[in-house]
This record gives sequence, structure tokens and C-alpha cells, in this order.
Amino acid sequence: MKAKPKTVAGLPADKALALGERMYREGILPSGEPMQSVVSGDVPVAGTAFTCVSCHVRSGLGTFEGGVVTLPTNGTKLGRTRYRKYPNLSPEERKSLRVQTPAARPPYTDASLAHVLRTGLDPGGRELNPVMPRYDLKDPDMAILVHYLWSLSAQLSPGVDTTTLRVATVITDEVSAEDQEAMLVPMNNFVARHNAHASVFGTRMYMSIGGQEMRGAYRKLALSVWRLKGPSDTWASQLGAHLAKEPVFALLGGISYGDWKPIHTFCESRRLPCLFPITDFPVISDTDWYTQYFSKGYFQEGQAAARYLRGLEDPAPASRVLQIIQDGPEGRDLSAGFRETWQELGAGAVKEIRLGQGETVSLASLRTMLQQEKPTAVLLWTAAGTFDALDGLADEVDRPGVVIMSSRQLGTKLYALPEKARAFTWITYPYRDPKDEPAVSRYANSLLAGLSRHKPETRISTRTYALLQLFQAGLIEMDRNVYRDNLLDRLGMQRDHILPDFLRLSFGPGQRYASKGCYLMQLSPGPEPKLVRKSEWVVH
Amino acid sequence: MNPRTWHLAGLVLGLLAATPGGLLAQAPPPIKRTVESYTVPDVTLVNQDGAKVKLKAMLESGEPVIVDFIFGTCTTICPVLSAGYANLQAKLPPGAPKVHLVSISIDPENDTPKVMRDYLKRYRARPGWDFFTGQREDIDKAMRAFNAYIPNKMSHYPLTLIRDPKTGKWIRIFGLMSSSEFVAECRKVGIL
Ligand code: HEC
Repeated sequence: MKAKPKTVAGLPADKALALGERMYREGILPSGEPMQSVVSGDVPVAGTAFTCVSCHVRSGLGTFEGGVVTLPTNGTKLGRTRYRKYPNLSPEERKSLRVQTPAARPPYTDASLAHVLRTGLDPGGRELNPVMPRYDLKDPDMAILVHYLWSLSAQLSPGVDTTTLRVATVITDEVSAEDQEAMLVPMNNFVARHNAHASVFGTRMYMSIGGQEMRGAYRKLALSVWRLKGPSDTWASQLGAHLAKEPVFALLGGISYGDWKPIHTFCESRRLPCLFPITDFPVISDTDWYTQYFSKGYFQEGQAAARYLRGLEDPAPASRVLQIIQDGPEGRDLSAGFRETWQELGAGAVKEIRLGQGETVSLASLRTMLQQEKPTAVLLWTAAGTFDALDGLADEVDRPGVVIMSSRQLGTKLYALPEKARAFTWITYPYRDPKDEPAVSRYANSLLAGLSRHKPETRISTRTYALLQLFQAGLIEMDRNVYRDNLLDRLGMQRDHILPDFLRLSFGPGQRYASKGCYLMQLSPGPEPKLVRKSEWVVH
Repeated sequence: MNPRTWHLAGLVLGLLAATPGGLLAQAPPPIKRTVESYTVPDVTLVNQDGAKVKLKAMLESGEPVIVDFIFGTCTTICPVLSAGYANLQAKLPPGAPKVHLVSISIDPENDTPKVMRDYLKRYRARPGWDFFTGQREDIDKAMRAFNAYIPNKMSHYPLTLIRDPKTGKWIRIFGLMSSSEFVAECRKVGIL
């Protein structure tokens, strides 16, 4: 690491750092104008189309895509001699190699960095691939960008030392002991196994093509459980106290019955990754970075309902839409998902009726709502308490043609949907079709060892299993570049994963909701109804 | 993929780990040009405005058309391919024959019409450049038809396909072209 200067291009160093970050991530010059570059030899590009982060990714550690290696551009790597073979070895380790390999280039200096960015010539005299754009920046702008690059992924993140990587999992105090156990048992088993491997394999735990290097990548895991108590507006300060006492590299999983937002916001402000919390109430954002979710939760079901209804061959059911929303976070997110998507699709207005707290729907009250609004489709975002009313509605001639309900909100009562209502009631179902759910592998089963009661319907232990798989993949690919942003970058470059619960988990730089799908289902007639798929997993 | 059991964890995964810069020599991949005949599948895709479009009819309408495969959050390759499209559009003189630039998503689950609209806006795309998503099987069919199928989007490669309106054949260009190379290819088939 370079010594920190006090001022850069006449600006205080931290101000310059923020401006450099904006150049790197948004392609905007300190003046506010877009950066200009030339790619592929002669193609001009504005920074608003793409910039450093689009290729080198957030941590600066680069990518390998389509036969193009985007080299790292973080402080540590730029400050060291680059080698093609085993690029991640420390200088000491390299000395111990039996066969020494030639250097690809010497360490960069401020001047040679500016030179390579302008001309594409590195200090070893090699001309870079024209995929790396040439940036003709003015001296002060260049100084600011170079200052940022020196600071980028220049120090291992908090929560890591040479032997251990510490993570924490957050549990809020309303979560039942049973549900806590469903997450903690597989997590503890995973950590124990990971750490036991260390004593068997030594530091060669992760063998790979770069096996030499992976030795130094392996660390034992330490897992802390952070229990949050009391009202959610006090969680941030509790989390702050935990983090001060026990700096962790990332939050792993975590479980709460309520909104994840306070924890999400904390992680965002502390630049702390939070991987796959077990929540149905995530924050929906296109730009937030630090929390990686399984899905958009209830919001995603509302979204799927909107796309499905809008995409029907027959436009009649979508012509007048009414949402009936039971009080509570489920109804809030289901209806928001529907409303926002309906607007995005340009499908016009949605009428909404909100039920008061604890208000139930009788056939008479449902009739009154329908007579007022005369909807062609009803989003009935309520629990199973409305089933009787729905049963009565089946016989009415002028009832709406389509009713949509949420399987997650109905829970296990789903299958009690009255037979007469099944033909016109669609169910949003955010998981894999139960008849396609693969058998639990031996490995997964072994992680559940010691669980006193397995309740598959909560999907807590299966989601925990999935998140541990993904965490492990991220750890391995992070290699020894143990930076928080790098963990998220590497997760963003995962191939699709087939894991329990969700049909498919897919990833991409900046994508934060791994499952993109949700079926619309109907229940088959007869005394033992089965779910019948009515839509594709993803509908546009 | 339809596995009977969830995939196994552990040591196997390590075999897949690759560090950028660790494996390959860094010469720019050479550009490979071939002329091919393709049978475009009769699938329906969805464009950035949410409109359904029949791929075969669109590509074989007889107007000049260029196809690439990208996705909204792709690094390195797609940005450069898309800069090439944007630059070509900027270079088209006012009276030039219309060319239809077609980008087909290989991440159809994430690339919703909104994501695609935002993407085109970032590249200041003009009318005539459309981005398509659809059902995964239909996208797979399109990729297969152009001999461009990849099971894992992260291992996709740069490909530009230019349809010669006179012969109906496709010029297949593997690699990233400079603007002058792209323009020269277009001229050869009478676009520009
Ligand atoms: C379109 C993709 C792309 C963009 C945008 C891009 N780069 Fe690169 N960059 C590359 C590739 C690919 C290489 C490797 C080239 C090679 O090895 O021949 C590279 C190499 C570099 C190197 C040389 C690393 C070394 O070890 O010698 C530096 C430094 C660098 N980029 C910094 C930047 C900065 C800073 C920005 C933004 C101002 C940027 N890059 C934008 C793709 C990109």
C-alpha cells in the first residue's frame, strides 16, 4: 500500500476519493461531465454507457468472460509485480517456488498508471487488449482516479486475519426456538465441517487449478449469533455495538419474521455484505449493493400476478382490477408488487380496498365491495379466512372472472380452497412445483443432523442449506482476495444454481434477487387437490 | 437441467475456481469471420416495450439486420458490443438504408422489458436497435439456431451476425470489431 497523501489535485484526500469512486463507478468526471474513452481502437464511448466498474467490477478484482481476461485494477495488485502464473502468491511464497516464472510487468507508479490509462502501454512495454478503453484524462482528473485505484481493495476487510474469517448471523427476538434451530443447526454443522477439513487437509482445503494459491486462501470460519431485541428502530444501534465488539466480514443468513429493512440499511451504511437472509420482506431496490436476497418475497408474487394477468390472451379479465388488501406486511408487499408492476406495464389504474386490522370478509361484505367496483379480476390478498365468502361467490352470475391469492399468505390452508372456487382462483406460488422438487441429497441431509424436528414447510433449513452452498462457492472464488466487495462480485458471477425451494437461482453483477420466478397455479378438483401449473416460471 | 438431487458441495467446486488473470495469455482474441446459413426458429420474443415479436418473420423480413447476444448486467463483452452498435447507429448517414440492430438477451429471467429499456437508454440507442427477452426455451432455441448456445451465461463469447439481405446468408463474426472493421463488414453486404 502506498502512503496516503493529504491532498490530491488540490483537494482533501477523502474528497478526492469520493470523486474518484464516482469516476470508477459512474463514469462521471469531477466536473460532472461524463468521462470519454475509446474502445476497440476507434469506438468512442461516454462514461454514462460504461466505465471501469462495468469490466473490472466493484472490488477491482476483474473478471474472466468470453475469452477476455479483465485484469485486476485494485491497489494491492497494481502495487505488485504481476505474474501470469499464480498471480495471487505473496512475494515470500513466490520466492519458495521451485520454478521461477518471468514477470508480466513491474509494479505501477502514479506515472505509469496514468500512462497505461491514456495509451494502453503497461510498464512492461506490453500494449493492452483494445477492449481496455483508452482514457485521455486531464492531469487533475487522472490524479484523482489514480488515487482511488490505490485505495481500492488495498487492505483485507475487517473480520479476517491470516487464519480465520468471522461471520455473524442475525436473529430477531420474535423468532421461535424451533425456527432458530432450523437455521442454526445446519449452519453450525457446516462451520464445524469446514473447520474440521482444515485439520485433515491443512491449508490445501480448496484444491483448484490454482491449487498452489488456494493454500493461502483457506481460513477457518467463526460464526457469531447476534440476537436483536426490542423494537426495530433500536436494531441499528444494537448491530453497531455488536460490530464494534466483534468485527465480522459478512452477515450470513439471518432470520426475522418482520421487515428486513433495518438490517439492510445498516449493512448498506457499513458496507457489510449480508448473504441470503431468511426473510419474506426484503428491501426492493435496483441500486443497493450489500444485501443479496433469495427473492423479492411477497412483492415478487404480486409482480408475477400483474404480469400474468396482463399477458393473458383474453384481455377482458384485466380490464377492471381490484385489490382487496388485508392489513399487515404481507398485504402491503403483495399489493405493492402488483401495483408497481401494473403501472410499469402501462396497464392503467388499480382500485384498492384495505381491510381494517382484524377485519374479516363475509360473503355479504365481499358482495358489497364487488357491487361498488364491478371488477373483472380481484387480487384477494388475504389469509384463508375469506374462503367461505369465496365459496359463496362461486354461484353468483356476475362475479369477477378471475380471483388471485397468494400461496405464501394462505400457508398450509391453501389446500382447503373450496372446490367450487378452484376453477376461477389462481394462486401465486413462488417455489418450484412440488412434484419436481428433487430428493434431498445425502450431503444436505447430513447438514441437518441433530435437528430435533424437521418442518419442511417453513423452508428454513432448506434455504439455509442453499445459502451455505452459495457462501462456500463465493469463498472459494474469492480466493485469497478477501475483500467484502469481492465476495459479492464473485457471487454475482456464479453460474445458475439448482438448489431447494426455488426453481432456479441466477446471478449477475449487481443482481440482488437470485430467484426471478413465481408460478401461477390452480388447484385440481377432488378431495385431494394438487397444484397445477398455469404459467411459466418467469412471465414478462 | 433437471437434477434428481441437489448438487454436491465441497471440494469439487474448487476445481471450477479460476482467478482472473491466472489462466490465459492476454493476446486479444483474433477475429474469426465465416459465412453461414441458419434456420431461424419460429419463436416469439418480447421487446423492450413489452411487445411480442415473431423472431423468424422479423429477421427474415428482407431489411438489413444484425444480431448479437448480450445481457443487461454483463461485464466486458456486452458493453463493448453495445458500444459498437451505438457507434454504428451514430455513423449511419441520414439517407442510408434502414438497418435493424437486434440484441437478444441470454439472461431472460433478469432482463425484463424495463431492464432492457434502461440498458438501451444508457447507450443512447436510437429507434432501430431493439433488445429482446423471452421464455428461456425460446432463447435457447435462438442461440442454438445461430450455433451460439452456452449453458452458462458467464461463459458467453462475443458474436456479431450480419444478414446479407441479397443472399439471406449470415456473416458470422467472432470477436470484438473496431468501428472501421464493423463499417467495412456492413458495406460488404450493402448496408451503409
Ligand atoms: C470494456 C471493459 C473495460 C473497461 C470499461 C475498463 N477496463 Fe481496464 N482493462 C480491461 C481489460 C480487458 C484489461 C486487460 C487488458 C490486457 O491484459 O491486455 C484491462 C486492464 C487494465 C489495467 C492494467 C492492469 C495491469 O495489471 O496491467 C488497468 C490499470 C485498468 N485496466 C484500469 C482501468 C480503469 C481505471 C478503468 C476506468 C477508467 C478501466 N480500466 C476501464 C477492460 C476494461
